[in-house]
Amino acid sequence: MESYRKPVKSDCEALLSRFQQTQSVRFEVFSNIWKEMKFVQIFRQSHNKRAFCRLVLDVAYCYFMPPFSFQIRVGGLYLLYSFYHCQTTSPPEQIRVALKDWEDVRNFEKESLDAQHLDVAYILQQLMTCKAFLFTAMPTLLHYSRKRTEEKPELCDEFMERPCRPQELINTQLSEEMSNIHELYKNTKASISSQMSTAAAASVSLIRGGIVSELCSAVMEFYNWQQNRDTVGEAQPSQERISSQQECSNRATLLAAIKSKAYEEPSEAVKSRRHRQVEIDLPAEEDKSFLKLRHSRVTKPSLKNRTKEQIHMSGDLGREAARTTLINHLVTLEPALQEKIKSERRFKSLNEYLESQTKSTSH
Amino acid sequence: MAASEQPAEPSSSIPDYEFMNLCSTPFHIGSFRDEWLKRLKPENVSFQPGDLDSFEARFAAAMGVGEETMTELRSVCSVDSLLCHSGDQEPDPEVVPPNATLQTLTHRKKQNNKPQKRTNNRHDLYVDELDRLTAGRLPETEANRLPEGELILTINIYFPNTVEKFNHLRAHTTLLMTGSHTLADLRDAVCCVSDLQVCGEFSSTPDMAPDFMSKDLFKSAYFFFEGVFYNDMRYPECQDISSTTIDWAKSHNYPQFSTAKMEDTRFLDLKVKVGYPYLYCHQGDCEHLVIITDVRLAHRSDCLDTDLYPLLTHKNRLVTQKCSVCHVFIGRWYTTRDQFAPSDPCLFCDKCFRMLHYDKEGNKLGAFLAYPYVDRGAFN
Repeated sequence: MESYRKPVKSDCEALLSRFQQTQSVRFEVFSNIWKEMKFVQIFRQSHNKRAFCRLVLDVAYCYFMPPFSFQIRVGGLYLLYSFYHCQTTSPPEQIRVALKDWEDVRNFEKESLDAQHLDVAYILQQLMTCKAFLFTAMPTLLHYSRKRTEEKPELCDEFMERPCRPQELINTQLSEEMSNIHELYKNTKASISSQMSTAAAASVSLIRGGIVSELCSAVMEFYNWQQNRDTVGEAQPSQERISSQQECSNRATLLAAIKSKAYEEPSEAVKSRRHRQVEIDLPAEEDKSFLKLRHSRVTKPSLKNRTKEQIHMSGDLGREAARTTLINHLVTLEPALQEKIKSERRFKSLNEYLESQTKSTSH
Repeated sequence: MAASEQPAEPSSSIPDYEFMNLCSTPFHIGSFRDEWLKRLKPENVSFQPGDLDSFEARFAAAMGVGEETMTELRSVCSVDSLLCHSGDQEPDPEVVPPNATLQTLTHRKKQNNKPQKRTNNRHDLYVDELDRLTAGRLPETEANRLPEGELILTINIYFPNTVEKFNHLRAHTTLLMTGSHTLADLRDAVCCVSDLQVCGEFSSTPDMAPDFMSKDLFKSAYFFFEGVFYNDMRYPECQDISSTTIDWAKSHNYPQFSTAKMEDTRFLDLKVKVGYPYLYCHQGDCEHLVIITDVRLAHRSDCLDTDLYPLLTHKNRLVTQKCSVCHVFIGRWYTTRDQFAPSDPCLFCDKCFRMLHYDKEGNKLGAFLAYPYVDRGAFN
């Protein structure tokens, strides 16, 4: 069942990113996208229904929780509502709410009531009335099962709420207040130093002069940077929307591309199977460099290749070096010496032959 | 008890992840329940089905909207608006649609094409449905009714690590317990073959064997949760078998462990981590891992009959060793130096054992040694 987590997650993210692009929190909009994507078909299966419902609800629950922006959380709530009511098991699987998250649920409800989002409040309270929630200690069942390859929980960046605390903190009121205090401080300091009438006292400076303007410019810079990042992020999907029907976010396609490339790279096989490794020829040169960047483990060329590249020999020596060295070549002697030994051996054998001949005749 | 130890830590009753997706921080189960009940209205935890009409009336009044808006809201938010097929032509809900675009469905198609592992054992057919047997069951008398706001704990008991292949951790049994159960209730609910072992040689008196079960002879046991040993002290012959460990820890400069009584400790008094492996030890050295996988408030779809708790929701089936004569029944006797046996040692079921080794009057024939044998899968 665990293998379903990834596809379910990407389906939910596809739905939510479409929902995000509409910039609406209406359930009507959500249900249209739901119907368009035929999301209800997700429950079409013949076995393991209960486990699958559990998984689907657990996945959707993440989007209902804080690190995401209000709109995505509304989408997450709608997802939970739709999954809960469309599931095919009876009695239905419930939505697990952890105690630590309850505060966030209350705040979410309050926020939606304040903004008069009737459908959000209605759906949340209807789920409460249906007894769709289980009040638990932890959002999932924990078995202390440590996975060999720890996967980092990927949170979709675009769904996140942009931090706006700096802007909230450093507003015009505060900067005015600060400059006032600064003025006051300067005046007090001047009056004291005039009383003290020593040069050292006047030169004491504990505070930078332009602190207020520096703060303001830093916040402005941060804000501009944030805006720039957003426009970069938004401009690309709009082009993509024209080119492809399936509106996946730019980041998602990029990630997919990276992943597919990563899978293309044949992994280091077990020693016993290394002779059967798959070889993949990469289409373009730039892909290779891309891979090199990604993979810290770069396979070095063999010693032979490196020598060939670095040492250039000419003439006879070069030709000899280019040839493969055979093992028996390593033990052969100098040609002259070899010749000598050969003749000796011939002589010896002749002698032996003659000797044997004489022996046989004597007998 | 445990809560008073750390009053400085305010969040000790609100569990959070200690390690992501692995285990929670330690928390006191009783005050965890109180925290939930403090936050919830009584109707949230009640077992009565929610009344949608009165909810809508209340909602309309609270939001100050009229009947017309309410009707519109209801139709917009209705579940029917989520279904993609029209009316009566409902397709088969078990068939994956052919032209699906969802990644989940393409994945499922792939999974369905894989050869499925089929079992011929009838026990396997409904093995995952064990917990549904009692779902929503109502008690016969009102006194047995589960009180509202009661806690339900899911507890996994694992095989003792005497099993040869310990590298795959599979839960032996999964039990549902309520918060007011004591640890002694949990001890009684755990069935392990080492409790049923009979020690001794009974070839001359095979009828005597069942009187010497380990369970009745050695009653000491303990649970270990968060630095506290909970000993079973219900019977006069029980011993504090954790003292060995505690003394050893003391002499080796380990942090101090304390002891408590198993029968006096309810789950509500415990301080534990959810998802963290703890220990149950009985028969001296039969050690099981115990993991509390879930703690939650009871829901109306749970089994509401307190008599049925501790409730078994999952059980792992083991392969059993069969009698070497009939190959049908599970082995119950283990013989050595047996002149009738095809092998040494050899397993027999009760019937074959008696037919082969005794005459009609029950007199022992020939020379052999016989030991009672309890199969690991005896609880299947």
